[in-house]
Amino acid sequence: MRSISLLLGKDLRVLRRSPLLLGVLLAYPLVIAGLVGLVASYASAKPRVALVDEDTLPGQIRLGGRTFHVERTIDRVAEEVTLVRLDGEEAERQLRSGRIVALLRVPRGFVADLRSMARSPRLELETTRGGLSVRVTQQVQALVYQLNRQLEDAYVEANLEYIRLLIEGGRGRFLGQDFDVLGLERAEALLEALPRGPRLDRLREFVRIASAALAETDDALRATANPIELVETDDEGRTWVLSAQAQSYALALTISFLALLLAAAALAAERDEGVLARLRRGLAGAGELVTAKAALAAAAAVVVGLGIVLAFGAIIELGDVEGGQPWSRVPLLVVGLALAGGAFGGLGALLGALARDARTASLVAILAALPIVFLGLVPREVAPAAAYVSDAFPFAHALRFFTSALFDLEPLGTAAREAAWLAGLTLLSCAAARAAVRRLS
Amino acid sequence: MTTLLAALGVSRRYGARTALEPCELELRAFEAVALVGPNGAGKSTLLSILAGALDPTSGRVETAERVGWAPQRPALYGKLTPRENVQLFARLDSVPSISTDLPDRPAAQLSVGQRQRLNLTLAFLGSPRVLLLDEPTASLDSERREELWARIDELKARGGAICFVTQNVDEVERADRVGLIEEGRLRLP
Repeated sequence: MRSISLLLGKDLRVLRRSPLLLGVLLAYPLVIAGLVGLVASYASAKPRVALVDEDTLPGQIRLGGRTFHVERTIDRVAEEVTLVRLDGEEAERQLRSGRIVALLRVPRGFVADLRSMARSPRLELETTRGGLSVRVTQQVQALVYQLNRQLEDAYVEANLEYIRLLIEGGRGRFLGQDFDVLGLERAEALLEALPRGPRLDRLREFVRIASAALAETDDALRATANPIELVETDDEGRTWVLSAQAQSYALALTISFLALLLAAAALAAERDEGVLARLRRGLAGAGELVTAKAALAAAAAVVVGLGIVLAFGAIIELGDVEGGQPWSRVPLLVVGLALAGGAFGGLGALLGALARDARTASLVAILAALPIVFLGLVPREVAPAAAYVSDAFPFAHALRFFTSALFDLEPLGTAAREAAWLAGLTLLSCAAARAAVRRLS
Repeated sequence: MTTLLAALGVSRRYGARTALEPCELELRAFEAVALVGPNGAGKSTLLSILAGALDPTSGRVETAERVGWAPQRPALYGKLTPRENVQLFARLDSVPSISTDLPDRPAAQLSVGQRQRLNLTLAFLGSPRVLLLDEPTASLDSERREELWARIDELKARGGAICFVTQNVDEVERADRVGLIEEGRLRLP
């Protein structure tokens, strides 16, 4: 333990005397985190979807006495996707090549069915296989939902027109045929002119009740068309940038790069300076050397991680963002930061021992950190295999630990599980690094 | 004379390449042994094995004495000052620290000669009875060289043993025995 603390103290002193290295170690992961954020926001922005119009949609359609601007409606409801108009053949080709992620087809007869107001017109959707298809399907469902919301009023108006015709009578058109309808009111007048009797009285009673019931159809029809209405209000909660998720990503990403690079470079630098051979002469064992590097990474992770948490917290508090920063969770976060730093430190020490010099170690650490981080960012439901591979590295566990610590109502269960993973990975990587250091001599 | 350090059949291979053939070497009290030979012959490899800084592929090294070692290339922390280097290695070795008159700036900023002096200072930590020095006078000015030899002679006179690697003919004359290493083979009278 004495050797470990002496070497750790030395490493911290060396780190303090390397402000440029420290600055790069801090700035680099933050830049990467920003770039990942940009890529993530781009990926969630607008997938390309082809619109194949086989029915030659008119600019305007008149339904139930209302005029619909088709183009404007599609533009408005398709804000979440980039709709490109293509012919069927080209759209199929682009769908196969992945240039577009979905194909939305307006088949022949769509407008005729729409105008008939008696048959449901159909839209056809084809999607690629893969992660985005689920999202596009949801967006097209939302598009159809919004179209239906706009059309339902026209359908309701048309149906109410038929009701009015039934009540008042007159000339009407249905399924392309004209009818002259007597109407309940005129029927009632005709019945009144007839002599009274039990059978005619029953008819009069029916016409009276039917008239009264149909007069109430308006509200009932509107409620049936729209049983649950979603009312959108302005959200005063925090933006995604300040969310617990963004905070977790920033922490995990920064710690990954920082700890991995720091431990790898520190161990390799000791080899470069020839000190490793001197230490091996009974001054510090391979295990103590590796443990000191993991401890260095853990200490740096705690300091930098706390800095990030404080920065997020200050912005949230100053902005009076709803929910606030969960300050009571900071002790739990510190545990996670130390464990994640240690796990990445062990891995970094392994890379440092395997690399020939400090520069190679730093390069290898960056090369290793990128796929580890990106593997951890792939959602399990998109690529389960990637998630399983990611479980063998600390990033995904650190991310889940931080997310749980910052967000979950009851974080201890998840935190304990991920802490066990991180501790196990630390032991494994430190054991491998120890073997690699011993092999050096 | 008492044997202070003995190498018994030590050899070293790096993959298919043999850096040092199995060899025997005894360092006795009151003697200085010089190792000479062309570059890459295996002198530094043998010295590192004797110092315990490198594991032999075969054989073993036996000693009951404290052994000081100054490798050919100074092994020290460049970001630490000479004083901090000495203090750190003294603490790691649980021996008293010693003072140094080297400038109080990071070792990486010292001259080559100053770095070599620090390297030698570390070898003398804990007052070792056996000294293993790899080209110790390289980069030292004449005054420092004389100082070093005076310390070596003093150690020898007190019953210590010194094994040093040199390319300098004048220095070979300071040795009681001279070992020649060629292509990994040691010939020692």
